[in-house]
Amino acid sequence: MFFRLLWESFRRQRRRKLLAGVAILLGTTAVTAMLALATTIGDRIHRELAVYGANIVITPAAAGLEVNVGGVEVRPATGSAYLKESDLEKLQGIFWANNITGVSPELRFTVGLAGHAEEQKIPAVGLWFGHVFGTGTGTTGAPAMHPLWRLVGAWPSAPDQGVAGRVLAEGLGLKAGDTLALRDGSSTRVIRVSGVVDADEETNGELLLPLATAQVLAGLPGAVSMVEVSAKTRPEDAFARKDPAALSPKDRDVWYCRPYANSIAFQIREAIPGADAEQVRRVEQSEGNVLKRISGLMWLVSLAALVAAGFAVSAAMATAILERRGEIGLLRSLGASRGAVAALFYVEAAVLAVVAGSLGFLAGSGLAAWLGARIFPGESAGAVLNPVLLPVVVGLALLVAVAGSTPAIRQALRMEPSAVLRAGA
Amino acid sequence: MAVAVARHGAGLGMGRMLRQSLLHRRGRSLSALLAMTVSAAVATALLTLYSDLDAKLHREFRSFGANVVVTAGAAAGQGSGSGLAAGQANYLPADVVARVQTAAGAEAVVAPFAYAVATTDRGTPVVVAGMEVGATRRLDRWWKVDAWPAGQEALLGQKAANFVADERAVKLTYAGRVAELKGVGRLRTGAEEDSRIYMPMAAFTAWTGVGRSVVEVQVPGGAARVEAAVGRMRAALPGMTVAPVRALVEGESRIVDRTRALMFGSVVLIALTVGVSVLATMSASVLERRRDFALMRALGGSEGQLLRLFLLEGLLLAGAGVGLGWVLGSGVAWAIGELNFETGTMPRVAVVPLVLGLNLMIAAFAAVLPARVLRGLEPAALLKGE
Repeated sequence: MFFRLLWESFRRQRRRKLLAGVAILLGTTAVTAMLALATTIGDRIHRELAVYGANIVITPAAAGLEVNVGGVEVRPATGSAYLKESDLEKLQGIFWANNITGVSPELRFTVGLAGHAEEQKIPAVGLWFGHVFGTGTGTTGAPAMHPLWRLVGAWPSAPDQGVAGRVLAEGLGLKAGDTLALRDGSSTRVIRVSGVVDADEETNGELLLPLATAQVLAGLPGAVSMVEVSAKTRPEDAFARKDPAALSPKDRDVWYCRPYANSIAFQIREAIPGADAEQVRRVEQSEGNVLKRISGLMWLVSLAALVAAGFAVSAAMATAILERRGEIGLLRSLGASRGAVAALFYVEAAVLAVVAGSLGFLAGSGLAAWLGARIFPGESAGAVLNPVLLPVVVGLALLVAVAGSTPAIRQALRMEPSAVLRAGA
Repeated sequence: MAVAVARHGAGLGMGRMLRQSLLHRRGRSLSALLAMTVSAAVATALLTLYSDLDAKLHREFRSFGANVVVTAGAAAGQGSGSGLAAGQANYLPADVVARVQTAAGAEAVVAPFAYAVATTDRGTPVVVAGMEVGATRRLDRWWKVDAWPAGQEALLGQKAANFVADERAVKLTYAGRVAELKGVGRLRTGAEEDSRIYMPMAAFTAWTGVGRSVVEVQVPGGAARVEAAVGRMRAALPGMTVAPVRALVEGESRIVDRTRALMFGSVVLIALTVGVSVLATMSASVLERRRDFALMRALGGSEGQLLRLFLLEGLLLAGAGVGLGWVLGSGVAWAIGELNFETGTMPRVAVVPLVLGLNLMIAAFAAVLPARVLRGLEPAALLKGE
């Protein structure tokens, strides 16, 4: 009997069900889309912020002082120390290895030009270009870490290719396709210039070479002078600034297991002997700030969407029930108990919430994916459906539908069946 | 008889009918008003936030520091070899800070720096920088310092600190002249500043006689404002190089634009959801009164009259809803601004026309849609309850 009532109610009152259903559908669509965007906004903005460069740098602990101003070396560094390129594999073993999104080692040196005087040297830098790093399928290197570098031509794809910085290319009259003969000990090594890059002030004056070629030319096999690391971090709070050595073992574990730039740098220092890892405060602090604000905004707007959608849905539910007072009166006068009537209406609301909520989840996920792709073009689209959101959204729809129905059901049940029937007649 | 009643009905003031219609079923009028208030509040809150978003986000980006750098002459023009110490001889004129400030605007932060390579008491060459402490503090907010130096004091980069014998009493030599400085602590940035020693500009100039070589400027606002300021600065500072920090300016514009697009999408989405739901609620409340309208029709009310009644009723509720909703929504926007950006978003009167237009549109639709349904119904059939 109960199920027949339920079935007939849906079959015969399509307009009313449609109204409430559309309200729930729209509400869940909006909430799903907002939540899906809010949960991914952190990663997206992090990727956008990558233009500011690495947020952690690894340098040899024993290195001498850099004596440079505005990226230009005023005097050659005193005493040189290097890191081992092979040690970079150890970055994959640290606790927060998965948060490392980019690694770019560099080896700065000077190289002589063949056919010129012995002392005439040009600055050069060895870099990774599309280096396969780790077990993942992704590649990393200098171009990936500096999306704003403007390249005319192509990045080196073979050991004997290089890219000239803009200022160096102007000074030597180089363009893509030219060759450059470099001194390699007593012999000569010919490098084909595959492109010209407009990068930062320091790099513009340099010849960019594949790291392995640079190590040979510099006579420093396996050496790198500095490593830039881009990592997804958690914005720094008071706890992050604590010195791990001064913390209790328990607090130290908590500190260690949070993706603060400080703890990732600490883990890198632990993993690579002789290395000094430090957060680049200009990037890290400011990024954290911007990230916090934008994702905070999205969460608050999602909350506003939630409240608005909740209100709209409960209003629609209430209207749908108030319209059916006559029906309630009839059911009651035919002997249905208050509980039975309430149960019927609640189950109706629940069925609507689950069906319309699931549809809304699908529509909202699609909408979020579409909106995300429109606003952040050129990024690998992650999974469109976030299964975690489904129970959340449907649960919320259930809660709101049931809560929205309650005052209307109570009001309708409070009235005398005869009065209701007469008023509706 | 029927004619008389009809005449009387037609003569019945619209105002009175409206009042009765709104007051007779107060509960329903209130719930409709509530719905209109919520839709107006949501629209107000989101639009207020949206129109203030650019300013708020650009302010956050100030923490990235200088976005324009002024240097002397074309130092970087020729193939910059390793021995580019010669570029050091190019100093900026003494009045450069005032000129940059005038050209860049009063809101810009202008911080000059001067550099010299001195020798520590351990014989290590180290870059010593002179800075205007106040401007640097405002510009380079990410610097982590133990204390800021004043007078004959020095701030030691954390790497540079390893190359002096006594961090408390730093002895530096430049061109045969010795400066004894009191170390106030360490500076940590994770970048090249770590290898330098910073001291107040006055003491630096008195000691080395070296002029300013770089002025770092932070122009607030987006790419367009920065470009405009760069143009003004180039015109006002002939012979000097004025270069925007491209990564910062472009990155900022991209992120602000994308966040704004995201917010815009959210605003449309939420407004649509609330709008359609309110529309549904309102039109249901009209449909519910089918019998009243059938009665009016039977009594001789014309279709146009009925439509006018619905419209007026809806518009009145919408207007009242906008009044209440604007206050409520401005409060929500202020709270979100305060919570998220630590500065409240001030209420904006400019959003009222848009919110009012939106609400009136919803109300008009809510009145017209059911009226079309009602038109097809026969009054007699309706009154009979079919």
